[in-house]
Amino acid sequence: MTGGGVRIGVYVCHCGGNISDTVDVKRVVEEVGKEPGVVTAVDFPFMCSEAGQKLVEDDVRSGRVNAVVVAACSPRLHEATFRAAISRAGGNPYMYYHVDIREECSWAHEGDREGATEKAIRHVRMAVAYLRRAEPLSKIKAASERSVLVIGGGLAGLRAALDLAEAGVRVYLVERSPFLGGNAARLGALKVFPYGRPAIDIVRSLIGKLVGRREVTIFTNAEVEAVSGYIGNFDVRIKVWPRYFKGKCAGDLARVCPKRARDEFYFGVAERTAILLPPFEGAYPDIPAIDINLCDRCGLCAKACPSVDLSQEPQTVSVRVGAIIAATGFRPYAPRNGECGRGLPGVITLHELVGALNKFGGIRVDGRAPESAVFIYCVGSRQRRAGGEGANEYCSRYCCIAALDAALHLRELLPGVRIYHVARDIRSYGVNELLYEAAGRLGDVFVKYSEEAPPRVERQGDKLVVRVRDVLTESVELEIPADLVVLVTGMEPSDGTAAIAERLKLQRGPDGFLQEVHPKLKPVETALGGIFIAGTAQAPRGVAETLASASAAAARAASLVLRGYVELEPFVAYVDASKCNACEACISECPYGAIEIVRAGSREVASVNEALCKGCGACIPACPNSAIQLRGLTSAQIEDMIRSALGHGRSA
Amino acid sequence: MTRAPQILVFTTSTISDPGVASAGLMRLKYPPQTAIIRVPCSSMIRPEWIVLAIESGFDGVFVAADGTDCPYLRDCTERTARGVEAAQKILASRGVEPERVRMAAVCSVCGEAFVRIINDFFNALSRLGPVRL
Amino acid sequence: MQKILERAEAAGEQLSYDAVVIGGGIAGMEASLSLADMGYRVLLVEREPTIGGKMFLLSKVFPTLDCASCIATPKMAAAARHPNITLWTYSEVRRVRALDRGAFEVDILRKPRFVNESLCTGCGLCEDACPVVVPKELDFGLRGRKAVYIPLDTAVPRKAVVDIDNCILCGQCERRCPAGAIDFTQKPRVYRVRARAVVIATGCRPFPAELKEAYGYGRTPNVITALQMERLLAPTRPYNAVLRPSDGREPGNIGYVLCAGSRDVTAGNPRCSQVCCMYSIKQAQLLLGALPLADVTIYYMDVRAYGKGFEEFYQRARSMGVKFVRGRVARIEGLPNGDVRVMYEDVEEGRLKSAVHDLVVLAVGLLPDNEVLKAFEGVTIHTDELGFVKVDPEDPVRTNVEGVFAAGCITGPKDIPDTILEAAAAAMRCAAFLKEVEARQT
Repeated sequence: MTGGGVRIGVYVCHCGGNISDTVDVKRVVEEVGKEPGVVTAVDFPFMCSEAGQKLVEDDVRSGRVNAVVVAACSPRLHEATFRAAISRAGGNPYMYYHVDIREECSWAHEGDREGATEKAIRHVRMAVAYLRRAEPLSKIKAASERSVLVIGGGLAGLRAALDLAEAGVRVYLVERSPFLGGNAARLGALKVFPYGRPAIDIVRSLIGKLVGRREVTIFTNAEVEAVSGYIGNFDVRIKVWPRYFKGKCAGDLARVCPKRARDEFYFGVAERTAILLPPFEGAYPDIPAIDINLCDRCGLCAKACPSVDLSQEPQTVSVRVGAIIAATGFRPYAPRNGECGRGLPGVITLHELVGALNKFGGIRVDGRAPESAVFIYCVGSRQRRAGGEGANEYCSRYCCIAALDAALHLRELLPGVRIYHVARDIRSYGVNELLYEAAGRLGDVFVKYSEEAPPRVERQGDKLVVRVRDVLTESVELEIPADLVVLVTGMEPSDGTAAIAERLKLQRGPDGFLQEVHPKLKPVETALGGIFIAGTAQAPRGVAETLASASAAAARAASLVLRGYVELEPFVAYVDASKCNACEACISECPYGAIEIVRAGSREVASVNEALCKGCGACIPACPNSAIQLRGLTSAQIEDMIRSALGHGRSA
Repeated sequence: MTRAPQILVFTTSTISDPGVASAGLMRLKYPPQTAIIRVPCSSMIRPEWIVLAIESGFDGVFVAADGTDCPYLRDCTERTARGVEAAQKILASRGVEPERVRMAAVCSVCGEAFVRIINDFFNALSRLGPVRL
Repeated sequence: MQKILERAEAAGEQLSYDAVVIGGGIAGMEASLSLADMGYRVLLVEREPTIGGKMFLLSKVFPTLDCASCIATPKMAAAARHPNITLWTYSEVRRVRALDRGAFEVDILRKPRFVNESLCTGCGLCEDACPVVVPKELDFGLRGRKAVYIPLDTAVPRKAVVDIDNCILCGQCERRCPAGAIDFTQKPRVYRVRARAVVIATGCRPFPAELKEAYGYGRTPNVITALQMERLLAPTRPYNAVLRPSDGREPGNIGYVLCAGSRDVTAGNPRCSQVCCMYSIKQAQLLLGALPLADVTIYYMDVRAYGKGFEEFYQRARSMGVKFVRGRVARIEGLPNGDVRVMYEDVEEGRLKSAVHDLVVLAVGLLPDNEVLKAFEGVTIHTDELGFVKVDPEDPVRTNVEGVFAAGCITGPKDIPDTILEAAAAAMRCAAFLKEVEARQT
């Protein structure tokens, strides 16, 4: 039996040697050509090329083939490519099975031609068995909301929100902290190389353009509490925490508050009270907020200012959006106590230096301006994990450049200062090389250490001493006395990034950052349709790269929602009413509430709401009668694949 | 000559299948006597399929589960484990060693973990020898 | 050809698009696809007979080691058939005039292929028939091509083109072509196109290695550029093996010289080219795969493995046995047996040393391919001292001219992931601009 008129074409890709160097593609073609239902089997150097796709299209268009197997690379790369090719030729794109004989075969079994070839044959046979029972399917079309939720009001979130608004898309921007601006605002007066413009200027300008646009709703001091729904139709619940302020206040309100905490806006180098004032000119919103965890409700501020309202309650807002962009940013790496002298007076992180420069307009150690400063690079970065508890293997990309920027800034403030850079490699890529070159020209000294011999920082009397073996001078141990030691620390995913990954079920890479589907094919897409990522939530990067990634995410979200509808894959559950006895076993298994009991003529049966079903299949094992099935992957198909894999049970 | 054990692997489209693929990307080696079926989520696997695999000539079945990365279900691991245990019981009742069925979570970048597990499973199945039904 | 082009005639049709994207490399394709997906109508103009730019010539790409063709060719196919994209290959932008805000007039020369594109099936029989062999540009001269040729198997469109400068007009291809597609009567035509926005994505050109005289490129046969090595490693490669040019022997000992024409004031480029460290590390890994017994040594100053997954990729190369020597190479000279001596300062040992390799690869940097900027009339696109297009810090794809955007290597050397992000960003900013222009007009 070959099933009702299924005519299968099998196309085996060489991937220009990636596959054919290990897998005997000719033998695969020869073997699977004998399978019942297969009308043609061919091999080709690049199936994904236009010529390769044309092979499939021609066979489908002529009617010779109505079901297709392509054996090539991972389905994540090209399943969609070939489904589209079949559609173009007038075929049904779901009469298709994509077999991975590269990542899951030739690359994993290099050097075992026989084994890899057998495996490729086995997998194509299973695909053929699948298609013998396949039926044409069509996409589920659903209206899409013309709006986007942007999570995170830092540089990436601001850029993406503004892009979308300007393209005519309704935007909801949610920021966790009481003010927009994120980490970029905290860079303050530091100029962004090579543009010679302070980061905060860029933040301010974006905020200025965004605020007041009718397409935009901004929630600060707010969190995304829950997200349900699917691409095109997400229901989002936002919790907005009270600011405890109805408006602005005259006078220096912060002075009346007796509570003290480290000021996060200056990376903890200064103190603040429980009253959080707009941290910079042009901040949004321009009214203060109370840090209620610190506040003991003493009421002094309420007496000083009529705008204070300690009776405010949190609010919950619900919105519907078509797409979501997660731009939840990074947090600076926090060195352990003792790591490169952390904890000794005069040892600070790069972020703390930035905070001090912005807050105090300079840096003082023991009340004196430092005469010498040592920047130690890669603290917490580029470390092998073993022994380096808490440290990171990856390079944080921006820190070399940020350190050079800060060093030049320091030299401007303190012209006589001696600056040493103790680094492994100076990664001032691209145009940033000019910054490295400038630092050298102005007299900064560069020392390079190897991973095996990291520098040590000690306190000797009232001085700090950095000991390091300099690979640039035959690895002699140098002893550099310093007033100030700056630990150049990298980026880690922010708490908000970790929280949103958990809440939205987004994947994170081994480095903890949000994971894109593919760095080149789907660089801002996540595994979940309609959810995109941008900025430093995805990877450490600098200002320009963050802006580009944000606009790229906005482009993807815009093209999704501007169309006004989405097409969903048809792989959802369905009930064979003739087998269902309404036992309700499947209903309790479904986490999405997609199954309900309905009347069908004289009796009751289970029924699936296709828009709510996510196609996970969790309901499948619950049914005692196998009445509930997954469209596009039925029990019968899986059973035939199992039977056919080893070459028996071919005529099931 | 003894035949190498044949293993059926269930993977999930968004999590463990990319994980298995990542082993190939890293050029990590594991036995080619493996056959892979992709499902959306490991919780959908019916115990009968696992039993059928053993009946059809496979020496073992490995379920590469979503674990805590599951995009659909918080309790994916528990649900998948239920199906695996049910299959093990059916097999045991027919005199087939339940250790011929294994499950472990394989995350989307866990190629190394997958290779370690599958190599270990392959060796264990080699020691068990052929299925006696 | 020059003479023929001088006689180009003006086409009568009045065409108009939302945006003209100049350059059909990965940046131009991505920008076009993103704009088209947002519903805008795009004219994509490519100077060469095929789109794909540099990327589709590459072997595998870091840090995932995907084959470049597998990423580029589907995008090429998608760009060619998107209903909102009109693709003109073998066409040059001759003049761009800004008439008004959101109104550009672009003159585009469509060069004659001397092949009727709608008849040609890309079968390649014409190539077999042609008696003329010249060096193949897309292989950087590593092998020859005919005077009528299909640029590469993966070309889009996969159509033949006659290189009229080298053609001897023998007519053999015309007789051989089963489709009757060869057409020597084709004439160049200049089209005047109206567009509301322009995206520049003309990419980069490799640093001309012969300018760094001490490295002997051009004089020493076994000193090649990394782009040539890229072709030796690519699936569409010339010899199906890695062979050194002088005697066709498999090299057993390969040296990589980083920063060839970058970070080098004497070579006129003080900047870092941003991709050479990583592509060299990648090639080293591929070489160890292709030639398991080979030694690969990389001479470097700093290893700039800065992007997502790059450091891990670098560490993998180290653990595979690629040797990294910290030192700047002073001179390279050929030896009589074809081997190559590299003289360098080993900074870790603090002395001048030399080493002999079978083959030396120069990791050449990237310079802007900015010829098209001269076509702008009445406005000047600002560039930096090396000729890269300057962009706005707040909006890193916007040029100084309103309605003109830029993406990819034309704004500075960058890798493929960054290029793709930037191209999508340019499309987004362009779409926002188009929307604003629309709003103003209604």
